[in-house]
Amino acid sequence: MPYDLRPVPFRGGGFAPKHLRFFGPATFLAVLAYWWIGTHLGWISPIAMPTPMEVARALIDMVQTGELWQHLGASLQRLLIGGAIGGISGVIVGFAIGLSSIARSTALPLVSALFPIPKIALLPLFIIWFGIGESSKYATIAFGVFSPMVIAAFGGVDGVDRNLIRMAQSFGIPTRDIIAKIVLPGALPALLSGVRIAASIGIILLTAAEMIGAQYGVGAMVLASGNLMQTDRLIAGVLILSALGLTVAFLIGCVEKTVLKWRG
Amino acid sequence: MSTFGKGTLIDRRVMLLGTGAFSALGAKALAADAINVGVLRFVSSGGLYLAIERGYFKAEAIDVSLTFFEAAQPIAVSIASGDTQFGLTGISGGTLNLAGRGALKIIASQGGEKKGYTGNLLVASNAAFARGLTSFEALNGASVAISQVGSTFHYQLGQIADAKGFGLAKIAIKPLQSLPNMVAAVKTGQVDATILAPHIAGPLIAHGDVKLIGPLSDIADYQYGGLFTSPKILTGNRDLAVRFVRAYVRGLVDYNAALMRRGADGRPVEDDLAVKAGLEIGKYVYPSDPPAEAARKVIAAAVYCDPTGKVDIADIDRQISWYKSQKLVDASVETKAVVDTSIVP
Repeated sequence: MPYDLRPVPFRGGGFAPKHLRFFGPATFLAVLAYWWIGTHLGWISPIAMPTPMEVARALIDMVQTGELWQHLGASLQRLLIGGAIGGISGVIVGFAIGLSSIARSTALPLVSALFPIPKIALLPLFIIWFGIGESSKYATIAFGVFSPMVIAAFGGVDGVDRNLIRMAQSFGIPTRDIIAKIVLPGALPALLSGVRIAASIGIILLTAAEMIGAQYGVGAMVLASGNLMQTDRLIAGVLILSALGLTVAFLIGCVEKTVLKWRG
Repeated sequence: MSTFGKGTLIDRRVMLLGTGAFSALGAKALAADAINVGVLRFVSSGGLYLAIERGYFKAEAIDVSLTFFEAAQPIAVSIASGDTQFGLTGISGGTLNLAGRGALKIIASQGGEKKGYTGNLLVASNAAFARGLTSFEALNGASVAISQVGSTFHYQLGQIADAKGFGLAKIAIKPLQSLPNMVAAVKTGQVDATILAPHIAGPLIAHGDVKLIGPLSDIADYQYGGLFTSPKILTGNRDLAVRFVRAYVRGLVDYNAALMRRGADGRPVEDDLAVKAGLEIGKYVYPSDPPAEAARKVIAAAVYCDPTGKVDIADIDRQISWYKSQKLVDASVETKAVVDTSIVP
């Protein structure tokens, strides 16, 4: 048989997208430039969209009057308390589903049924159950955060190396230690990516939670600006929400870097 | 015509057809104005409904089709976007901001508060009433449900706070986004009080669900509704706006003649004239009720509307400066940019 001796070039490079440092900021700048030019030359009507300068002025005004801190303080409190209630109970239920057959058979279908329910649709019920005060706002955020945390937690537990657990069990290590020293660290990466998703859902639900009876809060401010057609404050509020999301993502990134160092 | 020639009957019919076609043609040349008007199913738009029912718009060669909205704000937005040409809605922080930016103009008035006439009512929850929330003064320190920040309810609360001298900051304002939420919150005592339109408050007070504190017309006269249109129509098709307002004002005059009369007991007169107007308006405001019931409700809930359609400039001035003081309306908004008094001087 004749051998084909052509040289074979390496073709299996994959797509391997790399992080190009300046492209991210440049994209933001391009959007900003388009917005600026569009509003100044009048392709974008002043009723449809405020100019970047008006939005900046609205933001500065909110900082100077101290209004911003009032709104941020109220919203962060709701996010932290609601998120903590939903997140901690979600992790507990998720671990139970990951470790126990009874929990898996009972709680998992329940969580799968709860997850797709739009929490905004339940708002009127939450108001009857928890009133129009802070409790109904915590509840809305807690419910929204709960399901993704359950799914992240039990997915993380399922993903822990079975051999490690079996080995620990063969050596007679108590179950408590297996959970604390093998299952928990093994599930941590999945838990943290769950927190990323849950935090974004929490921020989305913040606006819904603050629809009812909230005098302060970023979500309440965005809604009120919409009702007042103050589009500059509306966009400023949306930017604050998006900055909140970026900050949370950054903080989770920092936590990931320190807590997951052991992975090498 | 004689080619049909089988006697006078047919001739007459053909002649009738001929004149029919002629008048249809004539009307067609004029009736090019098919317009869309944004409204709420409120009795305060009764003038418009009467003008439609009694053919006043047809007489001005305007073909009106109505688009019903659930909230005041979207009506203003739909005029700004050109989806509707005219709209009857509340003069709120949102509509004033849009008008100040040149998207809208108020060209005539709609509903308002006037002493002695039916209007919005301040009601307290049973629990708060038992605790002593029985007067406007007692609102100092109470929690009050409103629909939205910058709504006419928000303004009326401000009027109470100013009139009684305690300042709006003393009231815990709870924006609940919708009327059903406001009703639910005051019925269950989650807020101490709220302001409700008479047709909603009446049955609640009668059932003992809430307690009446007083009518807002005791606090101040207030023009809260307006006829809005876009500046584009005022400059490009002014004649249409003039004809529209003429028909609308004829409706307002009829509305006043039928529904603004008060008997010796101070209650609305309920004679044939009132019932006829009630039936005509009821079709639009309470479409799911039996006509007689709808008419009765309309008569009971007919709020004050100025019969001339005149916009009270001094009042709009007061409203704009209050909204500005609360930072609910941009500092650049001016009364003369918001109101056009050239059609109803």
